[in-house]
This record gives sequence, structure tokens and C-alpha cells, in this order.
Amino acid sequence: MRNLEFYPINFMPYPYIPPGEEVESTWVSLPNSLYDPVWGHKLYEHFLEVNIAAEKFGFDGVLTNEHHQTAYGGMPNPNLPAAWVAAHTSRIKIGVMGNILNAHSSPLRTAEDIAMLDVMSGGRVISGFVLGTGMEYHSYGINPVTARERFWEAHDVIIKSWTQPGPFEWQGKHFHIPYVNPWPRPMQQPHPPVWLPGAASLETIEAAAKHKYTFMQVFSPRTALAKAAKGYYEAAERFGYKADPRQIAATVQLYVAETDKQARREFEPHCMWYFRNGLKTPVYNLTPPGYMSLRSLEHVLKSGSHGATNMWEMTWDHLIAEKWIVVGSPETVIESLEELTDELGAGRLVFSVELGAMPKWMALKNMEIIAEQVIPHFRGPDGKPVWAREERPAPMTRTELVAQHGKPLPPLARMDGVGYVDTSIAHVPELVEEARRANGNGAVPSPAEPAVTGP
Amino acid sequence: MAEATTATQPWSPHYTEPDVIDVRGLPVAYRRKGAGPPTLFLHGAGATRMWLPLYERLSESVDLVAPEHPGFGDTPSPDWLEGFDDLVLHYRDVLDAFELDRVHLIGFSLGGWISANLAIFYPERVRSLTLIAPAGLRVPDAPMTDFMRMPPEQIGDTLFNGHVMDYLEFLPDPHDVDAAIRGYKEASTFARLAWNPRYDRKLDHRVPRIACPALVIEPDEDRLIPNAHAHRWAELLPNARLVKVSGQRNPTGHGIVMQEPDRLAAAIAGHIEEAER
Repeated sequence: MRNLEFYPINFMPYPYIPPGEEVESTWVSLPNSLYDPVWGHKLYEHFLEVNIAAEKFGFDGVLTNEHHQTAYGGMPNPNLPAAWVAAHTSRIKIGVMGNILNAHSSPLRTAEDIAMLDVMSGGRVISGFVLGTGMEYHSYGINPVTARERFWEAHDVIIKSWTQPGPFEWQGKHFHIPYVNPWPRPMQQPHPPVWLPGAASLETIEAAAKHKYTFMQVFSPRTALAKAAKGYYEAAERFGYKADPRQIAATVQLYVAETDKQARREFEPHCMWYFRNGLKTPVYNLTPPGYMSLRSLEHVLKSGSHGATNMWEMTWDHLIAEKWIVVGSPETVIESLEELTDELGAGRLVFSVELGAMPKWMALKNMEIIAEQVIPHFRGPDGKPVWAREERPAPMTRTELVAQHGKPLPPLARMDGVGYVDTSIAHVPELVEEARRANGNGAVPSPAEPAVTGP
Repeated sequence: MAEATTATQPWSPHYTEPDVIDVRGLPVAYRRKGAGPPTLFLHGAGATRMWLPLYERLSESVDLVAPEHPGFGDTPSPDWLEGFDDLVLHYRDVLDAFELDRVHLIGFSLGGWISANLAIFYPERVRSLTLIAPAGLRVPDAPMTDFMRMPPEQIGDTLFNGHVMDYLEFLPDPHDVDAAIRGYKEASTFARLAWNPRYDRKLDHRVPRIACPALVIEPDEDRLIPNAHAHRWAELLPNARLVKVSGQRNPTGHGIVMQEPDRLAAAIAGHIEEAER
């Protein structure tokens, strides 16, 4: 038995659109007049409820996602749903798979957002850093030619801003920031765990292994997943260490029901919505000029993989065979996941629990069966998720906070005619007077305070 | 380094081996022919690695120098290439390398954008300017078609207004992997310069400084850079004529430099001759 952590991800699509065959693409150019915000509201309620349910079911974490100007996914800002989930849960890990660093003019935006989420959630955030798809570069007008170098410079700014005392000045190629000094700082030390979701370019795998980040290959056929995982393990060895399986996150679309037949019956239409409509995006969307290095392009073209079927043209049998999807009874799914994660050496599984316009009850049913009949097979005898095995960085109660962390600096304010007062007791005159007499902590002349003189 | 051609059969009947000149350490691929007033032709974001029939016609009346931009054709892409200012300095260096003091300058599409900048910053090096279907202006009512998000077959139709089959001699075989990589490299160079914005709004203020005789050539119907752009160039240039070069075989489109070499060369030669007087 292999230990495996389970992280559901939900793309929050807008499914009420014409079929993929009738549109040029579901991305970039699909007219947003098709979007009805009232139905959009209902969808967010549904998706967020499913995300929140992940804690009680006992999943290890729940992940948000970022894409722009598309019906494929409804999270142009992945930090907003993460904040929502943080507010409605207390222990589960919250992974942001965003942020697309190049979508922002300053990397400080992401440094601040993630630090804020980490502090708000009590230290539960996993920070993804993403290059984004080619579509993001078409949609946002960001230059794809400099995307990778700008991404890595943004990454360096963020990590340094989290780990080195500010303010400091950043003088780079893409960013000049006179004062790097983000408030708040993240709660988790030295910084929140970082995952790199990516399409497995050689450069990304290498960098993930170098930094010991969890590499999460975006949804791909098993052959590609296996190749990337192998590349990661080999790169880790070159960097002089043996990679932990938790540094590899396998990704699949997952659906479990009572029997194999029932699982297919329930899942197939929604699965086909996802592949045939959600992923309707031609190659010129995926690879704007400069997005791929010439080395990678040459590799892709000369290995013949460019002749592979478009994502929106794949058949059910192909999806099963290549483990794009794992579907069936609990027994079938356990066997399939074991095979996949063994092949990859993966210790984490990222999976969708719902696709397309799946009704909420179906998503919850899927989660329930996964939680009760699949996950226990991959966990210790107590069935505890990863967050139940460790202390939360921020204590759950005020008593623990005070006992473990002591008091912060007293909040002093200079009051005209009085001097410095500790504002936390300033509303109690007796205490102020007492402190004044004692000339101690609480009131008066901590910094030398000249008598306040009138005009 | 100039890339070696691996194919034994040239990919186009117009392919020729380039010459190479060193320009501040960059090996610049170029083709040159003819006698007469020295003339620099700056190509667009494609149609490289060829001695076009248009060049041949032009070389009958001028000394035509047709270099390939950094990151295009067989000229490598240098690290320093980030913007049009780098290209302006580069082309001043190119003129120095060829020991050409003043030239007649012809720019097509992207090359028109570069040419205008060269004429703005180094007016003393430019005797006359010819812009063929030039890119570079901001024309909000008639934006350029987004050719960065087009299937290859649609690019051909956009350049030749639906008559791409008549001009296959200028286009690589769509199954030629090396050609696809070269095409992606050139598109990447264009994106490096002009992904966002795809115009230079400062040109509105700067182009009126170009005092030399100028000729703006528009096709019958440009489906990539709408004709309104050529009209606007002609308005901004203080000493310009606007002419339309129509097609004999098909109406001309953005691919005019491949479609109508004879008429185009005649119009340009006339303009240069006039400027020489």
C-alpha cells in the first residue's frame, strides 16, 4: 500500500454554452454575452459548497485554479474562492493553483495575497506558481516571448520577500521595486509550501526539482505524466537528493460509483462536456509565438506528438486507456490509482470531483464514495488526513495563542497632555493613573515626552 | 551563424543562399544586386530567405540591398533585441557596414514600421522613403487583424485574399517541420517587438518630422492591416504621395510584394528616380 494524499480541484466552469463543435473556442474569444451572472451566482454557491464539504469528508486539501476569459473555468482570481473556503473551514489545506504570476504587473501582488490568505487561514495555504496557458497570453496581452524569464524573476522576488527582512530594493530585468516590504508576512515558515503546476517543459521540471517544490503536471495522458515524474526523480538525483513521493502530484479526472457500469453512466456526459467543450481550444491558442522554446517546439514536432488527437476529439476508451480519467467502482479505482501512482512514484493525487454541469448531488456522492471507500485504502489505520496529524500553525483558541505566543508590542499612542498610553488599557482611567505613577509599562514617558505646551 | 539548409531541394524556387556581413558582431544575412542609387529594402514579418521577383525588378534600376532582420531568415536573434530602438541602431550600423551614406529606404509591413523609425532618428541617412502596406500606427477604428491567433491556412487567405493557391511558390510546405520551426522563430521575434502594443502611438507625433519624399503604397484590399493605415501614414507624412497598386491577376492584398512585382517595382522606381532629380 502506498500513502497517498488526496486534493480535489474544481474548475468551476460555466457550462451553459453551445457545444464545442459550434464555437471556434471556449477560450479567449467565446462571447461573454453567453454568461448569465444570475446563473453564475448559483454555480458559485454550488461549487463553493462542494469545496467546503471536502474538509468534513476528510480530504487532505482542496485546490483552486486560475484561467482567464473562458467558460472552462470560473476563477480568474484563484485567491477569492480560497478565501471563501478558508472562512468556512478550519483545518483543511487550501491550495491555490494559480497564481499566474505574469497576470500581474508586480509580483508583490501575489506575495501579499498569499501571505494574507496564509495568515487569514491560520497557516493552511499551499502556494502554486503558474506560467498559465497560451490562452492567458492572448487574453491578457502579456508578452509570451519573455513569459518564462519574467515568471522566474517574479518567483525570486516573492520568495525573497517572504524570507528576507524588508524593506530591500529589487533591481531586476523585468521588475524594479524600490521597496520590497510586504505586509503581512506569511504565517508558515520559512514560507508556504510551493507547488508548480505545469505542462512539464524540461526547464520547469528541472526548476521544481532544484527547489524541492511539488511538481503537479497539468492533466495529461499517463505516458506524459510518467515521463515528467521520471524526469523529476532524475533531476533530484542530479541535485544530490532523493525526491520524496509527495513532490510528485499525479492528476486525473476521478469518478467513483457503486459499480463500473453505474460510474460510466453517471460520469460520461459530464466528462465529455469537459473534454469536448471545456477544452475546445485550437493549437494557435495554446502556443502563441515565443511561449515555447524553439528546443521544445523542435522536440514536439520531431517526436511526432503534434499529430496526437486534439483534446476535444478524444474518445471514452482513449481517455480510460491513457488514464486521463479514472472511473469505476471503488475496487476498480483503487487498483487503477495504485497502478498509476506506483508508475509515477507519486505521493499526492490531484483530481476533479465534478466536471461540466454535473449536479451537486452527484459531485457529493462521488466525494462520499471516494472518502469512505477509496481514501482509507491509501491511509494509515486512523484514517486521518494530513492536517489532522499536525498542529495548525495558528492555534485554534485564544488561550493557546496567549499561552504559546505571549504578548506582542504594546500598542502605544501619544496623547496630548498625557504622554504615551497603552491603548489596550487607555479606556480605564485607574489603570492609566496607576501606570503613570508607576512610570512603568502602560502609560507615560516611555520615549522622552516633553510636556505638551499650548500656544 | 547562418543556418545551413538541410534540404537538398530548395523549399521555394525563389530561395537563394544569402551573403553574410558582420554588423557589430552579428552575422547579418543579406542579398544584394543591381547598379544605381543605393537602396535598402526592409522586409515584413515573413517572406524571408528568398530573392523575390520584386527584388529582381527593383535591382534593374537601383543597387538593392535586402538584409534579413535580427531573428528573421538566416540572421540570428541577438540577446539585445528588445524593441524598435534596437533595430534603429542596428540599421544605422548596417548602413555603416555597407559604407552607404544615404539610401532610398523601402519598408514593407513590419519593415515599414522599422523604416519610419530609421527616417525619424537618422533623417540624414535617408534620401527617400517608400512604405508598402506599413504596420505600426494605432488606428482604433480599423485595428490590425490578429494573425497571432490564426490557423496557418487562414494566414494564407488573409495575405492573398482567398487566392493563396496562386502563390504557393512563396510558401513553405506545411509539413516541413524545419520551416514550421523557422516560422515560429520569426513570429516570436515579431512578438518580442510588437506583441503588446501592436502599434507605436508615438508615431503620430513623430512621423510628421520625416521631411524626405515619401511614397505610401496600398493594395486593393489589405485584410491584415486595413487600408485605413496606409491612408493615415500618407496624412502624417508631410511630403508623401499615396498610391494604390492594383492586381492584374487577382486584386492585391497584404501579400502585394509577392503578388505584383512588376507594378510595384515600377511605382517605386519612379518615386526613387524623382527623388534623385
